[in-house]
Amino acid sequence: MNYLNKDEILTQLEKISGRDFVSNKTGDLFIYSQDPGASESRPVDFVVLPKTVEEIQKIVKLANSEKIPLIPMGGGLTLSGLIIPVRGGIVLDLKRMNQILEINELNRYALLEPGVTTGMLKAYLSENYPELQPPIPDAPPSATIAGNMLIHGSGSLSQKYGCHSSMINGLEVVLPTGEIGKFGSCAVSEYWFSKGPIPDLIGLFTSAFGTMGIITKISIKLFPRPKFRDMIFGFTKGFSDLPKLMSKITFTELAEDIMIAKGDVPEAYKNFGMLMVYFAGNSKDEMEFKRKTIEKIFKDHKAQVVPLVGKARERLMAEPQYGAALAADWRKGGGFEYVGSFIPLEKIPEAIEKGTTISRKYGLLTSLLFRLIGRGHAVMFSVTFPFNRSDSKDMINTRKGLEDADKMILEIGGIPWKAELTGQKLILEKMDPNFKKLFNNIRNIFDPNGIMNPGNWEVQ
Amino acid sequence: MTSEVSQDWKSIVHRCFRCGYCKFTHSYSDFNCPSYKEYKFETYSTGGRMWLIYGLINNDLKWSQDLANVLYACPTCGNCTENCKFEKFKGFLVDIIEAARAEAFNNGFCPENQKFLLERTRNSNNYNPYGEKNSDNSELKKKYNLPEKAEWVYYIGCTSNYRQQDLRDATLRLLKKAGIDFTLIDEHCCTSPLIRTGQNEIVPDFINYNINQIRNAGASKVITSCAGCYRTLKKDYEKFGADLGFEVFHTGELIKKLLKEGKIKILSNYENIVTYHDPCHLGRHMDMYEVPRDIIKSIPGIKFIEMKRNRENAWCCGAGGGVKIGYPDWSVEISKERLEEAKETGATVLTSMCPFCRTNLSDANKKFNMGFEIIDLIELIDQLEIEVND
Repeated sequence: MNYLNKDEILTQLEKISGRDFVSNKTGDLFIYSQDPGASESRPVDFVVLPKTVEEIQKIVKLANSEKIPLIPMGGGLTLSGLIIPVRGGIVLDLKRMNQILEINELNRYALLEPGVTTGMLKAYLSENYPELQPPIPDAPPSATIAGNMLIHGSGSLSQKYGCHSSMINGLEVVLPTGEIGKFGSCAVSEYWFSKGPIPDLIGLFTSAFGTMGIITKISIKLFPRPKFRDMIFGFTKGFSDLPKLMSKITFTELAEDIMIAKGDVPEAYKNFGMLMVYFAGNSKDEMEFKRKTIEKIFKDHKAQVVPLVGKARERLMAEPQYGAALAADWRKGGGFEYVGSFIPLEKIPEAIEKGTTISRKYGLLTSLLFRLIGRGHAVMFSVTFPFNRSDSKDMINTRKGLEDADKMILEIGGIPWKAELTGQKLILEKMDPNFKKLFNNIRNIFDPNGIMNPGNWEVQ
Repeated sequence: MTSEVSQDWKSIVHRCFRCGYCKFTHSYSDFNCPSYKEYKFETYSTGGRMWLIYGLINNDLKWSQDLANVLYACPTCGNCTENCKFEKFKGFLVDIIEAARAEAFNNGFCPENQKFLLERTRNSNNYNPYGEKNSDNSELKKKYNLPEKAEWVYYIGCTSNYRQQDLRDATLRLLKKAGIDFTLIDEHCCTSPLIRTGQNEIVPDFINYNINQIRNAGASKVITSCAGCYRTLKKDYEKFGADLGFEVFHTGELIKKLLKEGKIKILSNYENIVTYHDPCHLGRHMDMYEVPRDIIKSIPGIKFIEMKRNRENAWCCGAGGGVKIGYPDWSVEISKERLEEAKETGATVLTSMCPFCRTNLSDANKKFNMGFEIIDLIELIDQLEIEVND
């Protein structure tokens, strides 16, 4: 229930963050009511760009007293509508909180505000700490580090070191009641170097989609950047041997990242699985050894190695990769959305078959990607549907395709990640009832007024 | 939205994904879109503007002053066209914004400050956006003993003729010194400020007038020392359907040619640390990056140091796209950021090849007491001893 009218709430928000950083103007609300994915727009009441933790605390207190939903936003690039309010409210765009607070070179961590983008951190490290690298998602550089980590993201270095959420050392969070919580070693020590050894509550905030609080500081692991980095590109006609091939490469411990792509684009590889193995080293001899070892595994499994040159190589070697963004124009329509998921390695052939079937069913282009996570302990699998934003039928088919993909992934034993509302509902339907009950209880303790991104992860 | 934007751009506008590459420098080290960096709402990125325009085309949005203001709060620097990853339509982004501004104007939502540009320019006493009494340039023709007809026309441009006369005079002296067969015409504004702000009502008439004046002077080549005029004469006139019948050059191109052919040679030393600001109208809009650098390198004694963001990656001065008149304080703040970057190089002299950039950079230099000498490259050369060879 609101006690203040909208004008009064606007005035309060302006007092907190300043007039220049609060808006309920038509254009701003229009933009923030959508994301680049296939979700339909949903109304927003206010957009606020806070600068400090104190401002966020005040906004949270106001939201509690007025029962207004709060939706935290990083780069706004999840594509699955997670930053589009379900029940109206205030979108908190955190981009003004963009300070790199500390790079601890020896202990290899970075302490960041939530608005630091992957592009900015990468550039900062390249210039000032060239021997260190951050994990980079397969997303444009405006994706935030915090956003990527919190949605259980993956990307560069995920094969070697695990999904990006596992690289979080610590969090500072404005909790839904307005108090500040510290999680990880920072709860005890001045160093943000480790999750433990204390009870690990950081997991409450990953994949929670802003329902558990607003992250105001995040510490992430940094990794050594070897002098050389390269990739091996190849293709294979059959898919049944792919799990073994990929597993075999992981046993060498030589690859930084391992990916498979299967899709209608580029046309020449339509009927093949494209393999991409990234590796790095500190000497030419080391690189040559790694290349030869991995290429031999390709050959042993009847995968053809293809030397990559020109634009194709440039695109695949770029950090962050921009190839993913280009899928948005495959149908000359400015968008795509994908159901990303975590699946067991053995399910790759089945996922290819079923993902392709769904695409065909709705007349959509097939684009499937597999990225090994944590030396083969899981695979990130995405079913991507590029769409034409100006074609309403295409949009409807895309949404149907996404729902079918969610179902298919759950059927084969996988779990959609950063799932849109439909996907969340399907996951909850399949979820162990005791897990659901516990999760709901915890959420109610954290957020007694239900102000944090309501409508997401809503247990009925 | 009814007319040009929907007709010309409907099949393109919706193709923007809002991926955000357009906001950055090449290395992603910082936001390089002045508008996004200032206003910070996603609405003020180029992607945000594309989505607003698509919303207007689809009637999901109705024109309002607030929406128009978003479209106008952009110096049209072209950083977005440089960094957009979509080759098929990246080149159209600024054109689409300008077309949408024309729609805003037609719907009565051109902001008040920018309206002055049209009011002053259409005034038959002025024909320039500064509201100055029109100079037919006959006095200058007399002073420099210029013929009625010549191979070249020096198109001075309003900023050089009414605000940066040092540049005008330096150019006249240099052309004379180099023995170029040139004359002047009674100019009307090239219409750059009007096209940039979507006020196209009188643009075709002014284009026809200027072309006729140039033709009547018997010229086959036009030279201008203004980056904005250069872009407009060379690129926009044809977009408006004009058949020029003459070639268009920036003064820098002529100087470089004369230096290369040995027709002029710079003799005196210029012993200063110098950095160069790429004007958007010359750089990203016209792809001219090396001409000024080649000229600078031909100056004996000069110590030239690049700013971090240079060439395609340059930070805009903030004057273009109607921002100088529409948002004077913000415009100078944008220049301040450029001067701070110039400071990092250790340079004491900041040079450029655009009188409008020079005006804005000079305003910031003065306002923030930055202590630079800000000078157009042509003026810098004019100060030096030059040997002319036939």
